[in-house]
Amino acid sequence: MSLPVLALLGLLAALAGSLGGIGGATLLVPALLVAGMEPTVAAPIGLMVVGAGSLASGARQLNEGLVHHRIGLTVELAASVGVVGGALASTQVPEQLLAFVLAGAALVGAVAAFARKGMRNLPQAAFGEEAVTGEWPGTLGGQYRLGDQVVPYQARRVPLGMVLCLGAGVVAGLSGVGGGFLKTPAMSEVMHVPAKVAAATTTFTLGLTAATGLLVYAGQGRLELREGAAAVLGALAGGLLGARLQSSISPVTARRLTGALLLVVAAVVATRAVLA
Amino acid sequence: MTAPTPAGTPPPDPRAGRFDQVVRGLQVSVLVVAVAAVLGDVLHGPAGRAAGWVLLATLVAVPVLRVLWFVVRWFRRGDPKFAFVGLGVLAVMVAGVVLSR
Repeated sequence: MSLPVLALLGLLAALAGSLGGIGGATLLVPALLVAGMEPTVAAPIGLMVVGAGSLASGARQLNEGLVHHRIGLTVELAASVGVVGGALASTQVPEQLLAFVLAGAALVGAVAAFARKGMRNLPQAAFGEEAVTGEWPGTLGGQYRLGDQVVPYQARRVPLGMVLCLGAGVVAGLSGVGGGFLKTPAMSEVMHVPAKVAAATTTFTLGLTAATGLLVYAGQGRLELREGAAAVLGALAGGLLGARLQSSISPVTARRLTGALLLVVAAVVATRAVLA
Repeated sequence: MTAPTPAGTPPPDPRAGRFDQVVRGLQVSVLVVAVAAVLGDVLHGPAGRAAGWVLLATLVAVPVLRVLWFVVRWFRRGDPKFAFVGLGVLAVMVAGVVLSR
């Protein structure tokens, strides 16, 4: 595959991934496979794009108080245990069964994103212009700016959210994708974290997932750095653009966009499984 | 801040969102990755591979350093519960890499 095409695919994957908080590997890796790339080469490139997209979105999302590190690390603690367990068990699970599980999970996430109407966390007039956005120390709560208003929120049903993220981690470890397409709906629909905060927080945690995966792949000698560099160049542009666009869209639009991306993921993964 | 607290949520904290060092670090890292990616594509031979490894090392190191920064910050500011959560995540990452070999 030519380097400009790789860069373009990296841009589109990171743009969609950072907008919807689903990472991007879930979209990129199938596209690379369809284009004829070997799975052993495509998966590490997918993770490089996820890492670059997370890095590129990070500064802007952090500046705008959209990333909640305490929530991110709390769910990542469960998810990373699942990733390790899933990766170790990955040789025991039939690939087709796994693909159907992935597609089903993405579909459930999409339905949940589309089913809810309006906003769960509403702006509070009591929070004036002087309010500082971000996370509140010692808690899983915080506030983010929506236009000229401030929206407070508090993560709920944290144990259930952690269990779901553990499951997302297992699926991610089994399949080699980041798992953001499961973590973002778990955070927003189960834990009641605002969609934009959930997307930005997942994007942060996906950087950790990518780092772990890249270390593993580097140890196995599976990295094609030249192709990866081309995809990363595109992903940097896509991540920067995605973070810029994310700050200008409404939470409802962000949630619908995530739902639409999840539908695409479900369709792509299910189609691949049926054709296989 | 004097704003009333919404029911069932803790009071907002004016220290929220002050992560200037991390933001600057992330911006510099994006530049490093961008330059390394361009050099990795343009240069051939050992120089190109070296640029590729710089790119990879940055992608791996930055998220880990970001977590470490917050772990230290939370320990210093009396928020050890979440500092230990951060350390736990890093420990699981290390365990995963070791177990996969």
